[in-house]
Amino acid sequence: MTGISFEQVAKSFGTTRALVDFDLDVEAGEFISLLGPSGCGKTTALRVAAGFESLDRGRVIVGGSDISPIPAHRRNMGMVFQSYSLFPNLDVRANIEFGLRTRRQSTTERRARVDEMLELVQLTDQAGRFAHQLSGGQQQRVALARALAIRPDVLLLDEPLSALDAQVRSSLRDEIRRIQAELGITTIFVTHDQEEALSISDRVGVMSNGRLEQIDTPESVYRRPATPFVARFVGRINEFPSLRLDARTVECAGRRLPVASSEGSGSRDVLILIRPEDLRIDDHGFDGSIVRSTFMGPVRTVEIRLDRLDRIVEVVEPCSADVRHPGERVRVSWPSSELLVEDV
Amino acid sequence: MTARPVSARSFSRLGKAGILVLAGLFFVLPFAAMTRFALQNVQVIDLGWSTLFDKWSLDVFTNAFGNDFFLDSLVMSTKIAIGTVLLTLLLLVPTAVWVHLKLPRARAFVEFLTVLPYVIPAIGLVAGIIVVKPHVRWFISSDLSLIPFYVVLALPFTYRAIDTGLQSIDLKTLTEAARNLGAGWFRTLFTVIAPNLRSAIIASTFLTIAVVLGEFTIADVLLKRTFPAFMAEYRQSDPRGGYALAVLALGLTTLLFIVLAQLTRPRRRIDSIGTNTPRKT
Repeated sequence: MTGISFEQVAKSFGTTRALVDFDLDVEAGEFISLLGPSGCGKTTALRVAAGFESLDRGRVIVGGSDISPIPAHRRNMGMVFQSYSLFPNLDVRANIEFGLRTRRQSTTERRARVDEMLELVQLTDQAGRFAHQLSGGQQQRVALARALAIRPDVLLLDEPLSALDAQVRSSLRDEIRRIQAELGITTIFVTHDQEEALSISDRVGVMSNGRLEQIDTPESVYRRPATPFVARFVGRINEFPSLRLDARTVECAGRRLPVASSEGSGSRDVLILIRPEDLRIDDHGFDGSIVRSTFMGPVRTVEIRLDRLDRIVEVVEPCSADVRHPGERVRVSWPSSELLVEDV
Repeated sequence: MTARPVSARSFSRLGKAGILVLAGLFFVLPFAAMTRFALQNVQVIDLGWSTLFDKWSLDVFTNAFGNDFFLDSLVMSTKIAIGTVLLTLLLLVPTAVWVHLKLPRARAFVEFLTVLPYVIPAIGLVAGIIVVKPHVRWFISSDLSLIPFYVVLALPFTYRAIDTGLQSIDLKTLTEAARNLGAGWFRTLFTVIAPNLRSAIIASTFLTIAVVLGEFTIADVLLKRTFPAFMAEYRQSDPRGGYALAVLALGLTTLLFIVLAQLTRPRRRIDSIGTNTPRKT
């Protein structure tokens, strides 16, 4: 098993800087997701690893060697693309076999490996079909089998689930994780879907403007975001404009409130960032009235306009809680578990 | 949306049918007139409704086929057609793929270049040949020297066919997928791109053959007895026989286009990005 490292990688397209001093170490056998908004550079990082984009600066290290000068077809990377990339002129078996042919493997070896891959993605009975005879999910499973057949050093997944409907997406996501764990292959998964990234990865890297803002376990990224950008991008967030009184206390709408951390440049005006599930509707706290209550299945999101702050915050309650009606007067509090205090 | 009245729809349908009939007549009438002149052994002055079924004969073909130069010219044109098709595909497919993948901004310019043979008449090329002829006599003396000129003449048709084919597939993803699996450019081109351009390549091939079977000016200037040149020459000694050969060439070209239409008929749905539309499950 081999890991992959990006060292100070920079890549620009004209005046647009897609990757800026990008550093990332992926351990052997690790499943890493790169998450970020469109244009943040996550796909560029993947394409740099695959050899489809040249570097302006930096190195990509696989198995201790710098692979940056090696052309795409000589790198041993398996890639699954966002759009269905099966060769329309070849059937499933021939598609999976393609990479083995380029490696000049014997017919016996090829046949055995293709059978193994078909079994792995549970498509043995579809071996003779062509791409247009398969569903989107099946096509991506074949693409995964094709990428894995060559025993790549690293598996690169470029939003492979984004063209699929929700149900197929969820089952294929689980299947990708199962296969990755079974083979122990180092994997980089690019997605803009945070639920996907959080649920599938050993670690999640959140990117913005060509840089890694944070890379950590899914739980840490969600519960302990390193920057306000991460806090806002991963999950939902409520913002409370406040005044910093000291390192542990802020004043918000005339109330003195304790905060867990208040590091920053020392600005007095700050924003307290809190997850909706950390807010409570109870008998004390800020007065407000219900704007809307939305049933979301297991939970219900309640939007509340706070009187003194004149802004709407979102609170998550279990669906078993009482139904809130628009106009109902409530109070909202937070149990000193803010995510971040951001200087304004 | 409101439905259009029945009379308006009928009128529209009639209008379309009328246009089709007029277009058909525009093509068929001269063809029919030429066929009568060639295959009816009747004085031109006597050709009319009353003689419509008189003295039809295929003798003119027998005579033409018996001419010493008929077979030679046909073989030469066939060789030139094969050479032109091969050179066109070898030059055009990699170039068009390269432009699509690496120089998408240059597409408009390349398109402009490929329509130049429309703008510059064949006689312009001939003038060029006359200028360079003394320097490349060794090349001009070969029968196959017509091939490069025909490649250029066919460009407006062939480039468009290949370009349309490339637009109908997800070229970038297919190429990257092949490269990622270890295929070099050569293998990618021949095992992934070309098979998925089948229709475009067939169209380009037939269009090239049609150009080769119809070109006379350059062949005449370079003193090559191609099939069209032979037809023109034969017409001087036997006008009816010459036109009979023209009918034959026109018929063959029409047949080629019918075959082309059949071979390139889509057999499955292709979506806008050119990948296969997945089956709903």
